[in-house]
Amino acid sequence: MKNALILARDWIVERTGFDRVWEVLFERHVPEAKGPAAWLYTLGSASLFVFLVQVVTGSLLAMNYVPSPDHAYDSVRFIGEKVLCGSFIRGLHHWGASFMVVLVVAHMLRIYFMGSYKYPREGTWMVGVVLLLLVVGLGFTGYLLPWDQKAYWATAVGTNIAEQTPFIGPLVAKVLKGSSELGAATLPRFYALHVLVLPAAMLLGLGVHLFLVVWHGISEPPERARRPGEAP
Amino acid sequence: MTCGRGVEPEGEVMGRRSFLARCAAVLGAAIAAVLGSTGLSYFISPAFKKDEEDWVDVGGTKDIRPGAPVKVDFVARKRDAWAVTEKRSSAWVATKDGREFTAFDPRCTHLGCPYRWDQAKEQFLCPCHAAIFDAGGAVVSGPPPRPLDRYDAKVVNGRLLIQPIPRRRAA
Repeated sequence: MKNALILARDWIVERTGFDRVWEVLFERHVPEAKGPAAWLYTLGSASLFVFLVQVVTGSLLAMNYVPSPDHAYDSVRFIGEKVLCGSFIRGLHHWGASFMVVLVVAHMLRIYFMGSYKYPREGTWMVGVVLLLLVVGLGFTGYLLPWDQKAYWATAVGTNIAEQTPFIGPLVAKVLKGSSELGAATLPRFYALHVLVLPAAMLLGLGVHLFLVVWHGISEPPERARRPGEAP
Repeated sequence: MTCGRGVEPEGEVMGRRSFLARCAAVLGAAIAAVLGSTGLSYFISPAFKKDEEDWVDVGGTKDIRPGAPVKVDFVARKRDAWAVTEKRSSAWVATKDGREFTAFDPRCTHLGCPYRWDQAKEQFLCPCHAAIFDAGGAVVSGPPPRPLDRYDAKVVNGRLLIQPIPRRRAA
């Protein structure tokens, strides 16, 4: 039995070089941070984990959700009341969404205050900023989908804010709403952005971001500068 | 011999390799242009779509006398993408001479409260925040940021037709 497992592993390793991939991804050197500061290094992985939870729970929710003004609200109620574990899955997605914003902002603050965005990691930072905007976009588009009063008016406010942009505001608002009024054209538009466009962009960005993280390695925590006359 | 793209063998102006590379680039650009432009127009088309609403017959014009705006109720068929809904709506219709009619959106431009006509003062009064408009819809006093919004109106064979899309007027 053990032999069979080793054989299977060797078969795969020989054909994929997976041992090297594993080595590069999971056996790389990471900074030796001590104390509470060490926890700050978990924020990126935590964001990634919550994103994966959002992908799984979101895929499940999409199996029962209907992005039409006539059915959206009822289908969300159906998920909460009639589908086995539906309220739990929706709860995870709901809280995961808020938590994700908290995590990525905390992650960004860690990078900023430790100076980890500096040479040669500027690219990682820039992609990270795009990812942050994508998270906000996912939050904004997802908020409309339950199609209740809160969702509707929050989106009305959000699109009105977009409308205040000088010169292009009204055009941007119409493109967002898919119409001059928030309605039957807006909901499927937001749904498509929420489940297709933004997650696809997110996966692409994550791929680049993680590649760069592995490529450059994790930066060391900053050290306090020596005072004049202090021994090194 | 190298395998780099577009590297010509000695003495050739354009070889097979770079010719094909250019063809691929041109074709690729053409495909990207077609997909990109049609996709982009599809995506941003709502920005350039005109709001067209059907003209609604709201009644005869002879009941509406100068100096006494009338509130008319009507059912508007509202198009919302593929959905068509019927919505009960109303408008204040005023006239100066009995020939030209002005239809006002019945919501105050401050926060959307329904206002009423005060015949004694000959002004529109909004109960929410004491806004006052004159018979032409201009702000007399109170918090509204702009005059009353109007609906396009026209008279056809003695019937008043309006298009129930609020048109903003500058303050």
